[in-house]
Amino acid sequence: MRDKLLHAPPDLDTFAGDLPRIDDVLSRRVNADPENVQRGLAQLVLTIVELLRQLMERQALRRIDGGTLSEEEVERLGRTFMELDTRMEELREQFGLDEEDLNLHLGPLGSLL
Amino acid sequence: MIELYAITCHPAPPLPPVAPLSEVTADGLAAVCAPHVERDASPRTMWHHEAVVEALMEDRDILPVRYGTRLADESAVARVLDERREDLVEALERVRDAVELSVRVRDRSVDASDPLATVRGHEVHDRLSRLARASARRRGSVPREVVRGAYLVERDSVAPFVEEVARLDEAHDELSLLCTGPWPPYTFVER
Repeated sequence: MRDKLLHAPPDLDTFAGDLPRIDDVLSRRVNADPENVQRGLAQLVLTIVELLRQLMERQALRRIDGGTLSEEEVERLGRTFMELDTRMEELREQFGLDEEDLNLHLGPLGSLL
Repeated sequence: MIELYAITCHPAPPLPPVAPLSEVTADGLAAVCAPHVERDASPRTMWHHEAVVEALMEDRDILPVRYGTRLADESAVARVLDERREDLVEALERVRDAVELSVRVRDRSVDASDPLATVRGHEVHDRLSRLARASARRRGSVPREVVRGAYLVERDSVAPFVEEVARLDEAHDELSLLCTGPWPPYTFVER
Protein backbone atom coordinates (compact mmCIF):
# COMPACT_ATOMS: atom_id res chain seq x y z
CA MET A 1 0.00 0.00 0.00
CA ARG A 2 2.87 2.32 0.82
CA ASP A 3 4.08 2.46 -2.75
CA LYS A 4 0.81 4.07 -3.87
CA LEU A 5 1.87 7.25 -2.14
CA LEU A 6 3.84 8.79 -4.99
CA HIS A 7 4.18 12.21 -3.46
CA ALA A 8 3.03 13.39 -0.07
CA PRO A 9 3.35 16.93 1.20
CA PRO A 10 4.96 17.54 4.61
CA ASP A 11 1.48 18.31 5.96
CA LEU A 12 -0.27 15.17 4.76
CA ASP A 13 -2.61 15.34 7.73
CA THR A 14 -4.20 18.53 6.38
CA PHE A 15 -5.86 16.48 3.67
CA ALA A 16 -8.00 14.91 6.32
CA GLY A 17 -10.07 18.05 6.67
CA ASP A 18 -10.69 20.40 9.56
CA LEU A 19 -8.62 18.67 12.18
CA PRO A 20 -6.00 19.73 14.62
CA ARG A 21 -2.71 18.44 13.35
CA ILE A 22 -2.56 14.75 14.18
CA ASP A 23 1.02 14.89 15.31
CA ASP A 24 0.21 17.61 17.86
CA VAL A 25 -2.61 15.48 19.21
CA LEU A 26 -0.40 12.42 19.40
CA SER A 27 2.36 14.28 21.19
CA ARG A 28 -0.18 15.32 23.83
CA ARG A 29 -1.40 11.79 24.37
CA VAL A 30 1.45 9.47 23.63
CA ASN A 31 4.22 11.02 25.68
CA ALA A 32 6.66 8.18 25.54
CA ASP A 33 7.00 8.10 21.77
CA PRO A 34 9.57 10.08 19.88
CA GLU A 35 8.08 12.71 17.58
CA ASN A 36 9.00 11.01 14.36
CA VAL A 37 7.25 7.79 15.40
CA GLN A 38 4.06 9.78 16.05
CA ARG A 39 4.29 11.46 12.71
CA GLY A 40 4.98 8.10 11.08
CA LEU A 41 1.87 6.66 12.70
CA ALA A 42 -0.25 9.61 11.65
CA GLN A 43 1.03 9.28 8.13
CA LEU A 44 0.29 5.59 8.07
CA VAL A 45 -3.24 6.00 9.37
CA LEU A 46 -4.00 8.78 6.96
CA THR A 47 -2.43 6.94 4.09
CA ILE A 48 -4.71 3.99 4.71
CA VAL A 49 -7.79 6.18 4.88
CA GLU A 50 -6.77 8.17 1.82
CA LEU A 51 -6.19 5.03 -0.20
CA LEU A 52 -9.48 3.52 0.85
CA ARG A 53 -11.21 6.70 -0.18
CA GLN A 54 -9.49 6.67 -3.56
CA LEU A 55 -10.48 3.07 -3.99
CA MET A 56 -14.11 3.77 -3.27
CA GLU A 57 -14.16 6.82 -5.52
CA ARG A 58 -12.73 4.89 -8.39
CA GLN A 59 -15.03 1.94 -8.00
CA ALA A 60 -18.08 4.19 -7.85
CA LEU A 61 -18.30 4.24 -11.62
CA ARG A 62 -20.35 2.64 -14.29
CA ARG A 63 -20.69 -1.06 -14.55
CA ILE A 64 -21.23 -3.25 -17.57
CA ASP A 65 -24.85 -3.62 -18.54
CA GLY A 66 -26.46 -6.80 -17.46
CA GLY A 67 -24.95 -6.95 -14.00
CA THR A 68 -26.85 -5.77 -10.98
CA LEU A 69 -26.35 -5.72 -7.27
CA SER A 70 -29.30 -6.84 -5.24
CA GLU A 71 -30.65 -4.57 -2.53
CA GLU A 72 -29.08 -6.83 0.02
CA GLU A 73 -25.71 -6.50 -1.63
CA VAL A 74 -25.99 -2.73 -1.78
CA GLU A 75 -26.75 -2.69 1.90
CA ARG A 76 -23.76 -4.87 2.63
CA LEU A 77 -21.54 -2.60 0.60
CA GLY A 78 -22.82 0.29 2.67
CA ARG A 79 -21.68 -1.46 5.81
CA THR A 80 -18.10 -1.03 4.63
CA PHE A 81 -17.89 2.13 6.64
CA MET A 82 -19.02 0.45 9.78
CA GLU A 83 -16.17 -2.02 9.46
CA LEU A 84 -13.72 0.77 8.84
CA ASP A 85 -15.12 2.50 11.89
CA THR A 86 -14.44 -0.59 14.01
CA ARG A 87 -10.82 -0.77 12.83
CA MET A 88 -10.32 2.93 13.55
CA GLU A 89 -11.79 2.47 17.01
CA GLU A 90 -9.30 -0.27 17.75
CA LEU A 91 -6.49 1.99 16.64
CA ARG A 92 -7.81 4.85 18.75
CA GLU A 93 -8.05 2.72 21.86
CA GLN A 94 -4.59 1.37 21.29
CA PHE A 95 -3.06 4.83 21.06
CA GLY A 96 -5.26 6.63 23.54
CA LEU A 97 -6.97 9.01 21.12
CA ASP A 98 -10.42 10.57 21.32
CA GLU A 99 -13.00 10.10 18.65
CA GLU A 100 -12.66 13.78 17.85
CA ASP A 101 -8.94 13.39 17.29
CA LEU A 102 -9.60 11.12 14.36
CA ASN A 103 -12.88 12.40 13.05
CA LEU A 104 -11.97 12.52 9.42
CA HIS A 105 -14.29 13.95 6.83
CA LEU A 106 -14.48 11.87 3.72
CA GLY A 107 -16.41 14.11 1.34
CA PRO A 108 -19.57 12.55 -0.10
CA LEU A 109 -19.03 9.48 2.05
CA GLY A 110 -19.68 11.55 5.16
CA SER A 111 -17.70 11.57 8.33
CA LEU A 112 -15.63 8.64 9.36
CA LEU A 113 -17.00 8.65 12.86
CA MET B 1 -22.89 -16.38 -11.12
CA ILE B 2 -19.71 -14.91 -12.51
CA GLU B 3 -17.81 -12.00 -10.97
CA LEU B 4 -16.06 -9.64 -13.39
CA TYR B 5 -12.71 -7.98 -12.81
CA ALA B 6 -11.57 -6.44 -16.04
CA ILE B 7 -11.79 -6.35 -19.82
CA THR B 8 -8.58 -6.84 -21.74
CA CYS B 9 -7.37 -7.55 -25.24
CA HIS B 10 -6.97 -11.12 -26.31
CA PRO B 11 -4.57 -12.82 -26.59
CA ALA B 12 -2.83 -11.64 -23.44
CA PRO B 13 -0.21 -12.92 -20.98
CA PRO B 14 -1.22 -15.83 -18.75
CA LEU B 15 -3.53 -14.83 -15.90
CA PRO B 16 -1.78 -14.05 -12.60
CA PRO B 17 -2.22 -16.65 -9.84
CA VAL B 18 -3.93 -14.25 -7.42
CA ALA B 19 -7.37 -15.84 -7.54
CA PRO B 20 -9.21 -18.61 -9.42
CA LEU B 21 -9.42 -16.48 -12.57
CA SER B 22 -10.64 -17.45 -15.99
CA GLU B 23 -11.15 -15.63 -19.28
CA VAL B 24 -14.20 -15.42 -21.46
CA THR B 25 -12.96 -14.47 -24.89
CA ALA B 26 -14.73 -13.10 -27.93
CA ASP B 27 -12.75 -12.16 -30.99
CA GLY B 28 -9.89 -10.02 -29.70
CA LEU B 29 -11.45 -9.17 -26.36
CA ALA B 30 -11.37 -11.02 -23.06
CA ALA B 31 -13.30 -10.62 -19.83
CA VAL B 32 -11.38 -11.73 -16.76
CA CYS B 33 -13.70 -13.38 -14.27
CA ALA B 34 -14.03 -15.71 -11.33
CA PRO B 35 -16.89 -17.71 -9.86
CA HIS B 36 -18.92 -15.44 -7.58
CA VAL B 37 -18.47 -16.23 -3.91
CA GLU B 38 -21.07 -15.12 -1.40
CA ARG B 39 -19.40 -12.81 1.09
CA ASP B 40 -20.06 -9.57 2.95
CA ALA B 41 -18.71 -6.45 1.29
CA SER B 42 -15.96 -4.96 3.39
CA PRO B 43 -12.73 -2.99 2.95
CA ARG B 44 -10.96 -6.35 2.80
CA THR B 45 -13.05 -7.71 -0.09
CA MET B 46 -12.71 -4.43 -1.96
CA TRP B 47 -8.95 -4.53 -1.53
CA HIS B 48 -8.97 -8.12 -2.78
CA HIS B 49 -10.85 -7.06 -5.89
CA GLU B 50 -8.43 -4.19 -6.35
CA ALA B 51 -5.44 -6.53 -5.87
CA VAL B 52 -6.70 -8.76 -8.66
CA VAL B 53 -7.28 -5.79 -10.97
CA GLU B 54 -3.85 -4.38 -10.21
CA ALA B 55 -2.12 -7.72 -10.74
CA LEU B 56 -3.71 -7.75 -14.20
CA MET B 57 -2.63 -4.17 -14.77
CA GLU B 58 1.01 -5.17 -14.17
CA ASP B 59 1.46 -6.72 -17.58
CA ARG B 60 -1.49 -5.76 -19.78
CA ASP B 61 -3.87 -2.92 -20.58
CA ILE B 62 -7.19 -3.25 -18.81
CA LEU B 63 -10.58 -1.68 -18.43
CA PRO B 64 -11.23 -2.17 -14.72
CA VAL B 65 -14.70 -3.34 -13.80
CA ARG B 66 -16.53 -2.05 -10.78
CA TYR B 67 -16.48 -4.17 -7.65
CA GLY B 68 -19.58 -6.31 -7.38
CA THR B 69 -20.32 -6.58 -11.08
CA ARG B 70 -21.62 -9.98 -11.90
CA LEU B 71 -23.38 -11.80 -14.69
CA ALA B 72 -25.35 -15.02 -14.86
CA ASP B 73 -22.85 -17.15 -16.75
CA GLU B 74 -20.13 -17.23 -19.38
CA SER B 75 -22.48 -16.83 -22.31
CA ALA B 76 -23.89 -13.67 -20.73
CA VAL B 77 -20.34 -12.35 -20.47
CA ALA B 78 -19.62 -13.23 -24.10
CA ARG B 79 -22.82 -11.46 -25.13
CA VAL B 80 -21.73 -8.28 -23.39
CA LEU B 81 -18.35 -8.40 -25.14
CA ASP B 82 -20.09 -8.73 -28.51
CA GLU B 83 -22.69 -6.06 -27.88
CA ARG B 84 -20.23 -3.53 -26.49
CA ARG B 85 -17.33 -4.43 -28.77
CA GLU B 86 -16.88 -1.04 -30.39
CA ASP B 87 -16.95 0.88 -27.09
CA LEU B 88 -14.63 -1.60 -25.41
CA VAL B 89 -12.07 -1.62 -28.20
CA GLU B 90 -12.09 2.17 -28.28
CA ALA B 91 -11.71 2.37 -24.52
CA LEU B 92 -8.81 -0.11 -24.51
CA GLU B 93 -7.08 1.96 -27.14
CA ARG B 94 -7.64 5.08 -25.06
CA VAL B 95 -5.91 3.58 -22.01
CA ARG B 96 -3.19 1.69 -23.87
CA ASP B 97 0.09 1.69 -21.93
CA ALA B 98 -1.26 4.17 -19.43
CA VAL B 99 -2.22 4.25 -15.76
CA GLU B 100 -4.26 6.61 -13.64
CA LEU B 101 -2.67 8.95 -11.15
CA SER B 102 -4.61 10.97 -8.64
CA VAL B 103 -3.64 14.43 -7.45
CA ARG B 104 -5.28 16.51 -4.75
CA VAL B 105 -4.19 20.06 -4.12
CA ARG B 106 -4.91 22.05 -1.04
CA ASP B 107 -4.45 25.81 -0.80
CA ARG B 108 -3.91 26.73 2.80
CA SER B 109 -3.75 30.45 2.30
CA VAL B 110 -7.24 31.22 1.17
CA ASP B 111 -10.80 29.99 1.00
CA ALA B 112 -11.36 27.52 -1.84
CA SER B 113 -14.10 29.81 -3.13
CA ASP B 114 -11.59 32.63 -3.43
CA PRO B 115 -10.90 33.37 -7.12
CA LEU B 116 -7.16 33.46 -6.52
CA ALA B 117 -7.19 29.93 -5.16
CA THR B 118 -9.27 28.83 -8.11
CA VAL B 119 -6.75 30.28 -10.54
CA ARG B 120 -3.83 28.63 -8.76
CA GLY B 121 -5.65 25.30 -8.76
CA HIS B 122 -6.41 25.69 -12.43
CA GLU B 123 -2.77 26.38 -13.23
CA VAL B 124 -1.62 23.28 -11.39
CA HIS B 125 -4.20 21.12 -13.12
CA ASP B 126 -3.24 22.63 -16.44
CA ARG B 127 0.48 21.91 -15.98
CA LEU B 128 -0.17 18.35 -14.93
CA SER B 129 -2.64 17.76 -17.74
CA ARG B 130 0.10 18.54 -20.24
CA LEU B 131 2.07 15.57 -18.92
CA ALA B 132 -0.95 13.29 -19.28
CA ARG B 133 -2.84 11.80 -22.19
CA ALA B 134 -6.10 12.80 -20.59
CA SER B 135 -7.27 14.35 -17.37
CA ALA B 136 -10.44 14.90 -15.40
CA ARG B 137 -11.35 17.11 -12.48
CA ARG B 138 -13.87 16.25 -9.90
CA ARG B 139 -15.75 18.43 -7.49
CA GLY B 140 -14.42 17.89 -4.00
CA SER B 141 -16.00 19.03 -0.81
CA VAL B 142 -13.00 19.24 1.49
CA PRO B 143 -12.29 22.75 2.73
CA ARG B 144 -9.40 24.45 0.90
CA GLU B 145 -9.14 21.68 -1.69
CA VAL B 146 -8.65 23.40 -5.05
CA VAL B 147 -7.90 20.42 -7.26
CA ARG B 148 -9.14 16.84 -7.19
CA GLY B 149 -7.78 15.48 -10.44
CA ALA B 150 -7.31 12.19 -12.22
CA TYR B 151 -4.61 11.92 -14.87
CA LEU B 152 -4.15 9.24 -17.51
CA VAL B 153 -0.37 8.99 -17.71
CA GLU B 154 1.73 6.75 -19.93
CA ARG B 155 3.54 4.18 -17.84
CA ASP B 156 6.93 5.54 -18.92
CA SER B 157 5.90 9.08 -18.00
CA VAL B 158 4.87 8.37 -14.40
CA ALA B 159 8.26 9.36 -12.95
CA PRO B 160 8.46 12.75 -14.68
CA PHE B 161 4.82 13.39 -13.73
CA VAL B 162 5.56 12.73 -10.06
CA GLU B 163 8.65 14.94 -10.32
CA GLU B 164 6.46 17.74 -11.61
CA VAL B 165 4.06 17.26 -8.68
CA ALA B 166 7.01 17.47 -6.30
CA ARG B 167 8.33 20.54 -8.08
CA LEU B 168 4.95 22.30 -7.91
CA ASP B 169 4.64 21.42 -4.22
CA GLU B 170 8.07 22.88 -3.59
CA ALA B 171 7.53 25.98 -5.73
CA HIS B 172 4.25 27.06 -4.13
CA ASP B 173 4.45 27.65 -0.39
CA GLU B 174 0.74 28.00 0.00
CA LEU B 175 -0.06 24.75 -1.84
CA SER B 176 0.12 21.16 -0.67
CA LEU B 177 0.00 18.44 -3.31
CA LEU B 178 -0.80 14.79 -2.71
CA CYS B 179 -0.29 12.25 -5.49
CA THR B 180 -1.32 8.61 -5.34
CA GLY B 181 -1.23 5.77 -7.84
CA PRO B 182 -0.80 4.10 -10.15
CA TRP B 183 -4.45 3.10 -10.21
CA PRO B 184 -6.31 1.17 -12.85
CA PRO B 185 -7.87 3.74 -15.22
CA TYR B 186 -11.37 3.72 -13.70
CA THR B 187 -11.91 7.38 -14.54
CA PHE B 188 -11.04 6.97 -18.22
CA VAL B 189 -13.05 3.90 -19.10
CA GLU B 190 -15.71 6.16 -20.54
CA ARG B 191 -15.11 9.14 -22.76
